[in-house]
Amino acid sequence: MIARGERRFGFLLAAPALIVLAGVTLYPVAHVLVLSLQRRVPIFGIADWVGAANYGFLARDPAFWNAARVTLTFVVASVALELVLGVAVALALQRQHRWRAVAVALLLLPWCLPGVVTARTFEWIYHPTGILARAAAGLVGAGSTNWLGDPALALGAVVAADVWRTMPFVALLCYARLLGIPAEVYEAATVDGAGGIATVRAITLPLLAPVLLMVALFRTLDALRAFDLMFVLTGGGPAATTETLAVFAYRSLFQTLQLGYGAAVSTVVFVLVGATAALYLAAAGRAEARR
Amino acid sequence: MNRGRHAALDVIVVAGLVLYVTPLLWQVVTSLTPDAAIAAGGWPGALVLDHYRVVLARSPMPRALVNSAAVAVIATTLAAGLGILAAYPLARRLLPGRRLIMLAVVLSTAFPAIATVAPLYLIVRALGLRDTWAALVLADASFALPLMIWLLVGFLRELPPALEEAAFVDGAGRVATLRHVILPALAPGAAAAALLTFLFTWNEFLFAYTFTATEASRTAPVALALFPGVFEVPWGDIAAASILASLPPIAIVVLLQRHLVRGLLAGSLKD
Amino acid sequence: MPGERDPLPALLREFERLHPGITVQSEPLPWTADVQHQFFVINLEGRSSGFDVLMLDIIWVPEFARAGWILDLSDRFDAAARAEHFPSTIDAARLDQRVWAVPWVMNVGLLYYRRDLLERHGFAPPKSYEELARQALVVRGAGDVRDGFLWQGKQYEGLVVNVLESMWALGTDVLGPDGALLPDAARAANALAERRRFITAGVSPALVTAADEEVSRREFGAGRAAFLRNWPYGLALFDAPGSPVRGRVDIAPLPGGGALGGAHLAINAATPHPAAAWDLVRFLTRPEAQRRIADAVGLHPTRPALFESPALLAIFRGARARPVTPWYQTLSATLQPELSAAITGVKPPARALDDARHRLHYLLAR
Repeated sequence: MIARGERRFGFLLAAPALIVLAGVTLYPVAHVLVLSLQRRVPIFGIADWVGAANYGFLARDPAFWNAARVTLTFVVASVALELVLGVAVALALQRQHRWRAVAVALLLLPWCLPGVVTARTFEWIYHPTGILARAAAGLVGAGSTNWLGDPALALGAVVAADVWRTMPFVALLCYARLLGIPAEVYEAATVDGAGGIATVRAITLPLLAPVLLMVALFRTLDALRAFDLMFVLTGGGPAATTETLAVFAYRSLFQTLQLGYGAAVSTVVFVLVGATAALYLAAAGRAEARR
Repeated sequence: MNRGRHAALDVIVVAGLVLYVTPLLWQVVTSLTPDAAIAAGGWPGALVLDHYRVVLARSPMPRALVNSAAVAVIATTLAAGLGILAAYPLARRLLPGRRLIMLAVVLSTAFPAIATVAPLYLIVRALGLRDTWAALVLADASFALPLMIWLLVGFLRELPPALEEAAFVDGAGRVATLRHVILPALAPGAAAAALLTFLFTWNEFLFAYTFTATEASRTAPVALALFPGVFEVPWGDIAAASILASLPPIAIVVLLQRHLVRGLLAGSLKD
Repeated sequence: MPGERDPLPALLREFERLHPGITVQSEPLPWTADVQHQFFVINLEGRSSGFDVLMLDIIWVPEFARAGWILDLSDRFDAAARAEHFPSTIDAARLDQRVWAVPWVMNVGLLYYRRDLLERHGFAPPKSYEELARQALVVRGAGDVRDGFLWQGKQYEGLVVNVLESMWALGTDVLGPDGALLPDAARAANALAERRRFITAGVSPALVTAADEEVSRREFGAGRAAFLRNWPYGLALFDAPGSPVRGRVDIAPLPGGGALGGAHLAINAATPHPAAAWDLVRFLTRPEAQRRIADAVGLHPTRPALFESPALLAIFRGARARPVTPWYQTLSATLQPELSAAITGVKPPARALDDARHRLHYLLAR
């Protein structure tokens, strides 16, 4: 039971934050929904109602489906690689005796950089006539490897850059969880005669599972909205092979200036993200209930 | 395992991490390599500071760094102030519909920026705030505020209720308790949350790219994305600018690591 | 505007001296066209009077005119003054029979070639892309260079420019004279297919699909290619002391004409100082100013009278404008991924153009 005076107190305190939040999130989202039902090209003063026509076209637009495919591929590849590498690094850190602070600092460096810095760095690394390209080409026997210009390679190159910068986040969270596992658990396993890898599989991974699930969620939500890396590295090219839904929406909004169509794409991204979060929360709730 | 093996593994792990950070180190080296060596594509002979000089004296970067700092500090302060006020009632169950509100707060962090950038742009324009710090602070609030609230609720829950109960017994009102008991106890957690928020606002790109039009308000990441080059791409200058734009985040990670990690873990070990 | 040898500050100070009471501030924008455009749009859409005189990429003038962001200059910029510039630059600034900007600097796509290599094989500069391809293969086959023909195939505006030049050489265009999209789709598809064939046949290296002006310029400047399509700025760089190809590079017109590029000066419609702004525009576009800028940075004047080399003059006269329509950005942004898909072999050229046309019909509601 909350006393009336307390309730007012609570409202007063929370009101400013909630008002600002409503202003900068709820209102724009509502606005986007409305915008998606129009054909709006502000610079030419075009503002007509077209209802669901934008969505209709979206459903038939190969460019949209390409963006959806690219996003899905990007999400699955990135998250999978990050989880695997992250767990491996966390396990390595767990066994670290000295210089842990140094290790963690090094680990967090790629994660803390602005996305643009990472993009520019990899742009330089992936330069068609740079050292890496020539080295790789030497292995394959070609003139140079066209990482960012080859539709078969570009997305992989972007995934590599993204994994590079987000794996530390996964590793850190797993590492924290591992630290919380009491030593007795491992001792019990050793007493039972379990070896290193078996221990990991039987004990560590199940204990890590909740963290991994949550991290996978965070990363999936982020990856669904992936924008800055591919925008700066490839602009969505070549042949739109790195054009995620976010880049596609941005292109529609600000390059072709079709606010209505861009809003429709944004709404789809928003629904995807919301659905993923809801699915996770439901699954987590059920797991909680079982426990 | 004997001590020697431990030491060896420690070294291997750190060495492996150094290897992992190679792309960043490569940028650092490039930022110190003279143009001629960059063009030739080989190893740098001597290391020079020319690129930093050019970037600091003649590029939009210094101004952009100031803008980034201002926006990040203001946005973080605003988010912290409003966030603490909102987190307290939420953590101490003083609001009806608390669970729903927390859910809404969490979900609002899930809004893709791309979904909100167009209407936010129209709002910013209507308010006449284009090309100002205020526009970015407002836009950054859309993720900074939920993040702050989320983290602070977590930290507040860690504080034992006994703390406040003791204050009430002494006759202190809610407000006084907040000021003199809760805030000091919350300080380390709030600091951790602030560091994390500062980091994210510093790195923010999409809103900054869309809402700023001139150097007056462009932030460091945007300036880096738009780094001026006539026809030639000045890789050395870009590398130097990249390092400069990364200094605050790197400083936070290296010097304030413990606080930052606290913030990161608090945000995740929930449920 | 460009870095160290930038003549602009000096010119602005001179203007200030001649017009006491006026100070001029200039703000350099990044050189990437796509990005500059966005910032102008964001700023001008809000009717900001933050700047009075704008340097506009030539392809934006009709769009900005239609949006009502720039002043109609037809009366101030009279017929006599217009006649001093290349007609193509004036046409590019026209909308609804009015003129909206004054030509400032000019660019035209042209063909660079290695004179020494062509002479060795007894070739004259090619007159068609087919001939160019044949020559490139021969020179490459003889082992003199690693690559044949370099051009810009990255997914950006430059790709549209390159493909347009191929289309013009085959006698077609993206927009017909009546504004119809892809009036001769089959021929356009052939032009696009030709560019794809350059890569598959080894005329051009695979890296052109990630190449912009600078990447291609550097490769050619290092002596690794026989032909390069680029803007005129490269010539000074190739002939600079220390350049590996010094004295061995010549230029020729592109088959079908080179694309017109460059920048115009326009006046913000919301400016509180239209008269002073016009004075500045006139000052910066007069022959003396144009010549100084051209000499300093490898951009060219828009006045035929300032050209000393007849060969260069002929090339500039042959410049062709990209489609002059307020919808050019939409056109280009929609074409870019499709053209990229075609030249990387992801889609057949005909389907790529068809997909583009389908989208454009919806977006432009035609």
